[in-house]
Amino acid sequence: MGILVFPGTNSEDETLRACRAVGLEAQLVHWNADLREVRAFAAYVLPGGFAYEDRVRAGAIAAHDRLMTVVRERAAEGTLVLGICNGAQILLESGLAPGLDGDPRPQAGFARNAPGGRFRSTHVYVKLAVPPSRCALTAGLASDAVVPAWASHGEGRLAASPEALERMAREGHVAFVYCDATGATTPHAIPNGSALGAAAIVNREGNVLAIMPHPERDGWTFMHHDASRERARGDAAAMLAPSGGTVLFAGLAQALG
Amino acid sequence: MIVPCCVEVALTIPDNEAETALSTLRRLGLDLAGLERADVYRFSLDAGREPALEAALRSMETIYNPNKHVLRLREDAWPAPGELWVHEVPHAPGAGAPRREMRVAGRVLEGVHGVERFVAWRLFGAAGSPATAELVRRASDCLLCNPSFQSATMI
Repeated sequence: MGILVFPGTNSEDETLRACRAVGLEAQLVHWNADLREVRAFAAYVLPGGFAYEDRVRAGAIAAHDRLMTVVRERAAEGTLVLGICNGAQILLESGLAPGLDGDPRPQAGFARNAPGGRFRSTHVYVKLAVPPSRCALTAGLASDAVVPAWASHGEGRLAASPEALERMAREGHVAFVYCDATGATTPHAIPNGSALGAAAIVNREGNVLAIMPHPERDGWTFMHHDASRERARGDAAAMLAPSGGTVLFAGLAQALG
Repeated sequence: MIVPCCVEVALTIPDNEAETALSTLRRLGLDLAGLERADVYRFSLDAGREPALEAALRSMETIYNPNKHVLRLREDAWPAPGELWVHEVPHAPGAGAPRREMRVAGRVLEGVHGVERFVAWRLFGAAGSPATAELVRRASDCLLCNPSFQSATMI
C-alpha cells in the first residue's frame, strides 16, 4: 500500500510505522512519483500535515494534485483509501468523502475549530456511529470499540449545508463520533465543535474513510493516555506493543486480506 | 450613522499562495493571466471615522506589517469586476453581529461596531484585464470557495 506524501505532509513516518506494525507492506509515495507505479498499490493512506502549506484552504490544493487523479480512479474501482487529519481534509475537498451523489466537488468540509477557531492538540476517543460492516476498514472492529487518538488540528469541525448534514446522518456517512473513555457521547468529548459530533466520514461505497484525529499517534502502549501505560511500566514488550489506535490499521490489513 | 468601510491589506512581496492557486486553476483549465490575493476587512464604522481607523490599523501593526504589506481604504464595500471575496460562514448564532466595542491587540477601535474578514481574489483574464464573471464563478466553484462553510461574493 502507498502512503502519499505531498509537500508539507508531516505524519508519514508514524503512519508508515503503524501500517508496518500490523503487518502491512507499506511505502512512502512522493508527489512526483511515476503515476503508473502509484496506480499499482492495493490501498492508499493520506497522512496528516499541511499539504501545500494549506494554501487556499486545508487540503484544497492537494485535492487537485496529480496523485489524487490516481486516487480518484482507484477509489472508484473500490480500492481502499484512508485519510488522516490533513489527509481527511484532502478527501473532503476532493469530494471523495462523503461522496454524496458522486459529486466531485466538496459536499462538506472541515472548517476552523469552534469555538475560538484555534488549533487544538488534545487526546480524544472515538467510536463507531455505524455498523462495523458499513466501512471496509472498520469491518473487523467490535461495534462498541472505543479507539484512542490525538486530535491535532485547527480545522476539524465538520461543516456542510443543513441538507447535506441531514443526508450524511441519515445515510450513514458519519463513521466515527467523538466520545469519552467509556464510549459516552457528550458535548465535552468533541474538541472542535464538529457537526454531528463527527470524527470520521465514510463514502457511500464504504471504501474511503476520512478521519480527523490521529489513531497512529496513540498506537502503542507507551503512547496511551490511560492506566494501561502505568500497568505496562517495567515490561518493555508490553510497553512497545501495538494497541489502541493501531486497530484501525489492523482493520485495513484485514480488509486487504 | 454606521457605514461600511473596507480596508485592504495585500502583500508587497511575492505571494506564494496566489501563485499556487494560479497554477492549480490553470491546470484545471482556466485561462488566467494572473491572480492576486488580499485580505479585506469590512468594518461597520461610525461615519467620518475612516481616517482614524486607518491610522489606528497602521500604528497597531496587527493585521498590517509595513515591511511586507500595503494597506489602503477601498472606495467600495463590495468586490470590483474580476474579484471574488471569500468569507467563512460564522459558526455560532450571532457571530459577526454588531458589538458595542471592538478591540484589536488590547486596544479599542473607536467607532467600530463590527468587522467581517474576506479573502479577496483578483483574477485577470488572458488579455490582462479583469476576468469575466463566468471565469470568476468557475474559479470559485472549482477551487477558491468551499460552499460547505464559505460564501463567495462577486458582481
